[in-house]
Amino acid sequence: MSDDQKDVLIAAYLFEDLAKKDFDAVLKLVKDKAITVEGVVLVQKDEKGEVEVSETGDHLGRKGVKVGAGVGFVVGLFAPPLLAATAVGAALGGVTGKFAKHRLESGIGKKMDAALPPGSGGVIAVYDSGGADTVDKALVNAVKKSVAQIDGISARKLKAGLAEAQAGMGG
Amino acid sequence: MSDEAIDRTKLPIRRPQFQGKVERTLDGSQPDWNSIAPIPAPKGAPNVLLVLTDDAGFGNPSGFGGPISTPTLDRLGKGGLTYNRFHTTALCSPTRAALITGRNHHTVGFGMIGEFAGPFPGYSATLPKDCMPFPKTLQGNGYSTACFGKWHLTPDNVQGPSGPFDRWPNALGFDYFWGFLGGESGQFDPVIIENNTAIGVPEEDDFYFPDAMADKTIEWLHGVRAHGSEKPWFAYFSTGCSHAPHQVGTDWSEKYKDKFDQGWDKLREETVQRQKERGVIPADAELTPRPEAMPAWDSLDANHQRLYARQMEVYAGYCENADWNVGRVIDAIEEMGELENTLVIYIWGDNGASMEGTLTGTFNELTTLNGVPLTDEQQLQLTLKWGGLEAWGTDMMGPHYSAAWAWAGNCPFRWGKQVASHLGGTRDPMVVHWPTRIAEQGGLRPQFTHVIDVGPTILEAVGLPQPTHIDGVEQQPMHGTSFLYSLDDAAAAEQHTQQYFEILGNRAMYKDGWWLSWMMPRIPWELDPETLKRFAPGVWDPETDPVELYYLPDDFTQAKNVADQHPEKVEELKKLFWEEAERYDVFPLLGGLTGFFGMRPPIPKQSQFTYYGDVQNIASGMIPQIYNHSYTISADLEIPEGAEGVIVAEADHLGGFSLFVQDGKLRHTYSFLGVQEFRQESETPLPTGSVNVRMEFAADAPKPATGGEVTLFVDDEPVGSGRIEHTVPARFSGYAGMDIGRDNGLPVDRSYVDKSPFAFTGKVKKVVFDVNPHLTEEHEQELHEHLEQALAGHAINA
Repeated sequence: MSDDQKDVLIAAYLFEDLAKKDFDAVLKLVKDKAITVEGVVLVQKDEKGEVEVSETGDHLGRKGVKVGAGVGFVVGLFAPPLLAATAVGAALGGVTGKFAKHRLESGIGKKMDAALPPGSGGVIAVYDSGGADTVDKALVNAVKKSVAQIDGISARKLKAGLAEAQAGMGG
Repeated sequence: MSDEAIDRTKLPIRRPQFQGKVERTLDGSQPDWNSIAPIPAPKGAPNVLLVLTDDAGFGNPSGFGGPISTPTLDRLGKGGLTYNRFHTTALCSPTRAALITGRNHHTVGFGMIGEFAGPFPGYSATLPKDCMPFPKTLQGNGYSTACFGKWHLTPDNVQGPSGPFDRWPNALGFDYFWGFLGGESGQFDPVIIENNTAIGVPEEDDFYFPDAMADKTIEWLHGVRAHGSEKPWFAYFSTGCSHAPHQVGTDWSEKYKDKFDQGWDKLREETVQRQKERGVIPADAELTPRPEAMPAWDSLDANHQRLYARQMEVYAGYCENADWNVGRVIDAIEEMGELENTLVIYIWGDNGASMEGTLTGTFNELTTLNGVPLTDEQQLQLTLKWGGLEAWGTDMMGPHYSAAWAWAGNCPFRWGKQVASHLGGTRDPMVVHWPTRIAEQGGLRPQFTHVIDVGPTILEAVGLPQPTHIDGVEQQPMHGTSFLYSLDDAAAAEQHTQQYFEILGNRAMYKDGWWLSWMMPRIPWELDPETLKRFAPGVWDPETDPVELYYLPDDFTQAKNVADQHPEKVEELKKLFWEEAERYDVFPLLGGLTGFFGMRPPIPKQSQFTYYGDVQNIASGMIPQIYNHSYTISADLEIPEGAEGVIVAEADHLGGFSLFVQDGKLRHTYSFLGVQEFRQESETPLPTGSVNVRMEFAADAPKPATGGEVTLFVDDEPVGSGRIEHTVPARFSGYAGMDIGRDNGLPVDRSYVDKSPFAFTGKVKKVVFDVNPHLTEEHEQELHEHLEQALAGHAINA
C-alpha cells in the first residue's frame, strides 16, 4: 500500500442545508490548515439518481480562479460524466473514460453510488488518510458516512490525466 | 304484523302465523300478505352510523383541543354531544370485540388480538356464539347492515377461501363487508376483502384506501335506499387510519408543514390550553409530566427534530383525511335527507395513540413487529435510503411515528396504547349526534362511559331488546350500560359506575370516580427476552406491582397519586379487580403471551404446500412458515421464448421474496424488511419448454433470523447461488399477500416496478413450498418455540 493513499469520504444527508453546514465546516478546516484535502464537493442526488454538484471547494482564498484539479479529481471519482459539465470542460472524453474505468475496476464506483441514495445530499471529500479523524468530527450532521480508499499510484495517474486535459483546454 | 305482535327476543324471528284462509283452490281462499313481508324494524327506528378510528389519542383532534383539524368531529360535536370520559380497552381487537358485542373483551375471547388465538377462554380470539354482536340483532330486526374498513376479529389462520367463515363479518351480523380482516393495511396497496372473498389489490394508480372506503359506504347507502325506501340501516365505518403504516398524499401532509417544529413538549402545553378553553377538560386539570423514557424535544439534534416533525406532519394529514372522509359520508346522508334521524356515534380511537414506533419512530413498522433492533442512526440511514423525508408517508415506506408523538397525542394523560392502567391508553374522544332525539346542541357529557356501552345504547335507541336467543343459542346478557339516559341530562348521575381494565398485564379498576392503576413494570415497546423474564410464571407476582390511586372527579388527568392517603381504597379496588377478573375470564393474566412462557400449540404437521394455477392474495398470516430454517420453493413451468415475470412473490420491497424471470434468467430477491436486499440469479439463460426451477435456502442453523446460502436450480442442475445474511424472523408484512404467477401490489424487487404486477408470460403449473426439509425433531421444537414467541411479539404490537 502506498504511503500517500487517499480516503474518499462520502457523507450523506437528509437535509441540504445541513450538508452545506458540514461542507462549510470542512472548508474551514482546510482554510485553518487543520487538514489537507485533494478536494471537497457538495452534491445533490435527485430521486432518479442524477447527480448535481452544488458547490466546490475551489473558492478557498482563490475566488474567481478556474476549477482546480482537486475538485475534478473528486467529481471524476464520484460521477465521471459530470467532469465535462462541472469541473474541467466539455472536451475531455479520454480522462472521463479513465475515471470510469477506475471506478469499475477498483469497485470504488459501486461503493460510492451506494453511499449516496437517490434524493439525498452529500459531501464528498478526498484527503490523506491521516486526516480522517478530523474530517469525521466536522461532519456532525451526516446520517451516513462511507469511506473508500484510492491508492497513491492510481490517484496520481488520474490527477495527471486531469492536469493534462486541463492544460490542453487552457491551451 | 304490528310491532307489538313481534317477539324480538329470539332471533331469527319466527314467521308470523298465517292469518288468511286456505281452501282447495283459490276459490274462497283469503290472502295474508303479511306472511311474506320482511320483518320490519321498530317504528321510527333511526339509522345508525358508528364511526371508529384507530390508534388515536384524546389530544389529537381539534374538537378536543388537539392540533389536527377534524371539522367533521367538531361539527357533530357542536350539533350533538361531546363525551369526555369515554373509554376503550387500550388495544385494537379487544376494543372492537367489546364494541360490537357489548360485552367485556375477555369474556368474548379477545384479551389479545385476532392474530393470536391463545389456549384460554379469555384469549381464544373466537367470538362465542352466546355473545353474538349487536349488528346481528339489528340485521334480524329489519335493518340493512354493513361494515367498511378494518375488522380485526378474524384469526389469521382462517383468512382464506376455505374459511370457515363463521368469524368473518357476514356471519356476525353484516349484510355487506368491504375492507380488510387484519389489524392493518397499506393505504395505497390494501388487499381488499369483499364479503367472503379476497378481491385483491386495486390496480388504479391513484387508489387511496381511506377515500375508497367512503366511496363504498356512500355507494352502499345509495343502493340500500334505492331498494328499500323505508328500511333503516346500520353502517360501521371503521377506519384503518391512524394505524401504521402512516401513509397519505402530500396534499394532506403539506397542510401541516412546520406545524410541529415546536416539538412534543410544547405541543402538549398548547393542547392542554386549548382543551381548557374548549371545556373538554376542567380548568384546573393538571398536565401530567413527561415520563423519563421520553426524551425532551430540546435535547434532540437538528436531524432528529426535523425527522420527527415530518413524522407528525404525515400523521396529522393522515388523520385529517380520515375525518374528511367521515364528513363525506355525513354529507351523503344529509343529501339523502336522513341525517336528522340518524344516530351517529363517532369514536376517535380504539385505544390511545400508539407508541409502537419506539422512541425513534420507524421507516418500516414491520422492523419493530419482528423485533429487529434499529438504532437512531440506522433509522435515519434507512429513511435516507428509501427516499428521505419526502418519501415518509408514501408507499416507499411503512412508517410509524415516534412514541413521544403518541404520548403527546394522548395529552393530557400518561402513556398510550396497550397501557390499560392509565387514561392515555384507555380514554378517547366520542361525540354523539342525533338531531331527532337530542335537543341540546354542543353539550358536554362527563358521565363515565365505556366501549361496551355502545351496543346497549344503540339497541335502546332503536327500540330493540337484547335477544335471549340467537340461532338457537342462549345469549349472555350484555355487560355494558346504555348511556341513552345522558342524552337529555348533562347532570344525570352516571350509571356505569364500575369497570375493570386489563391488557397485557396492565390493569385498572374504576369505581365511583376512583381509579386504581396497576401497571406492569414494562415500557410498552420493550419486548426483549430479558424484560420478559421478569414476568415468567413463578417469577412475576402481580400483587407486588406498584399501585397508583386517583380520584378522577378532583383529578381529571391522573396527575395526583393518592394511594398513600387512601390505603383502604387501594385494597378495596384491588379486591374488586380480582373479583371482576375472575368473573370476566381475565385469568390467567398474560394468557395472550403463552408463547413466551413455554405453552405452545402442537407443532403443525403440514410441511409441504402446493399451489396450482394462479392462486393470488394469500393472506400474509397464511403463507407457508419459511421463517428461521431451511426451505425450498420449487415450480413447474411452461416457458416460451422470451418469457418473463414473477413465478411466486410475497409482500414487497419492505419485506418479502420474489422468484422471477427477467432478461431470460431465473432470479431470486429477498428483502430483509427493507433494511437489506439479497439477490441471486442464474448464470445462464433459462431453457424453453417444460422446466422445473427450484430455490433452495440452506440455513446456517435453525435459529431466529438465520442467514444462509441460496442455490438456484433448473431441472435439478445448479445454475446460480448467493447468500442471505439475515432473514425475517416472524412476518414479512402486516397485510401484503402472496401471489403465484405475479406480484400484486408493491413489488418485492423494484427493478420490475414499471411492469407490475409483472405477470409471468409463460405458464406456472404449480409451486411447491417445502418448509421442513432438513430439520431434526429437536430443531423443529426450538424453532416452533421461537416462532410462537415472535408471533406473540407481533401480536402485542399489531
